[in-house]
Amino acid sequence: MKVSVFDYGAGNLHSLIKTLARDGARVEIETDPSAAVRADVLVLPGVGAFGHAAARLAPGLADVRAALADGLPCLGICLGMQLLFDASDEGEGEGLGLFPGRVKRLEGGRVPQIGWNTIEDGDDPLLDAAPVATAYYANSYVCHPDDASCVHAWSAHDATRFPALVRAQRTVGVQFHPEKSSMPGVELVCAFLREAAR
Amino acid sequence: MLSRRIVVCLDVQGGRVVKGEQFIHLRDVGDPVDLATRYEAEGADEIVFLDITAAPEGRGTMLEVVRRTASRAFVPLTVGGGVRSVDEMRDVLRAGADKVSFNTAAVARPELLTACAERFGSQAVVCAIDARRLSTAPDASLGAAAGAATEAVTQAAPAWEVVTHGGRRPAGLDAVMWAVRVVQLGAGELLVTSMDRDGTRSGFDTDLLHAISSRVRVPVIASGGASGPEDFVAAVRDGGADAVLAASIFHRRMHSIGSVKQAMAAAGLPVRPVEEAVA
Repeated sequence: MKVSVFDYGAGNLHSLIKTLARDGARVEIETDPSAAVRADVLVLPGVGAFGHAAARLAPGLADVRAALADGLPCLGICLGMQLLFDASDEGEGEGLGLFPGRVKRLEGGRVPQIGWNTIEDGDDPLLDAAPVATAYYANSYVCHPDDASCVHAWSAHDATRFPALVRAQRTVGVQFHPEKSSMPGVELVCAFLREAAR
Repeated sequence: MLSRRIVVCLDVQGGRVVKGEQFIHLRDVGDPVDLATRYEAEGADEIVFLDITAAPEGRGTMLEVVRRTASRAFVPLTVGGGVRSVDEMRDVLRAGADKVSFNTAAVARPELLTACAERFGSQAVVCAIDARRLSTAPDASLGAAAGAATEAVTQAAPAWEVVTHGGRRPAGLDAVMWAVRVVQLGAGELLVTSMDRDGTRSGFDTDLLHAISSRVRVPVIASGGASGPEDFVAAVRDGGADAVLAASIFHRRMHSIGSVKQAMAAAGLPVRPVEEAVA
């Protein structure tokens, strides 16, 4: 199985790559979004800022949209999840728009949200395979889907409840960092790859 | 609900974890990768590597330690010490760190925080503040017209100055004002160390923590003075800390992370249960 990680050019991909390769997948780093979709699984990692990442994605936006519509399994992590939405208050540029809605800054509590938060009301098969009870977050922005039926787990920061996991068919977005959430998080990534292989 | 974090700090020199009192009598504690994975299994919410290698040629060794750790430990990793540019931060992040902590470099060149936050996001930029309590209020001892420093001033609320170089050099900055400023510049988290308490096991300076945590909106990590589980509770409850860092009490196995978390949970503070961390 070939897993391609789209690299926006900022931050730590090391732990994510180790996690993805755990069960033997071939992991390749791609800086060209149109090349990144030529794989069995596309991963949008969670480091950097929205504007910068959207600019890197822009040349291949149509190709990535087409590939996702075609059923390419995709895992978006933190910023990668936010790129699956239309747009963000964090920066300019267009997201993939797979989930209609906007990314907005967290209000209340300490921002950035840094640390382990509980995963609530989970009803996604991935959470059955890998019961993540608390997960590691490092984010200042959260997704606001127009239609909450895509949300399959929630977390809360101060008084703000926000989507922890969204899904549309074979595309899953998680606001937390599974690759930094100790063994339960690593299990979740492995479960996603197993699901993608089916 | 967001948990209060227990952060384990490992001082790394020449690829090994060492521990000494105030940087003297360094004692080899073990291999950083082994210790990081052990602490992950014991329930540490985060690991901090503090690079105390003085020589610049030691940088490569540190990056290799980060790389090896990130291959085996799956909890957040912060690296502090010796990072002085955006490119150096990029190297540390690419090696597998999630955050970089700036101390002396931020005092020398505050705009570095902004440049790094713009490139990597403020969630990756930690500013470490080493603070020493002043016997008088900040205006009286930090310059200006100190001539008329009066009794009224010494009666004022406590104040702290920023120090660098392991506490040897005063930076001429008020610690609370500096905290507010570095957050404006882009720091997404503050690691606040009381240099009066560091290594003394006499408890955290909760006045200092409260003075800072009540003035900023970013998370604050308490450091310096951990002795027992009750100190962790006080740092959060009285100091308003979001995370608590300790080193020697865990290295010397005086207390386990589990016992600290138990005490915090008993005090009504949200913690990530330890058993979840074990595969």
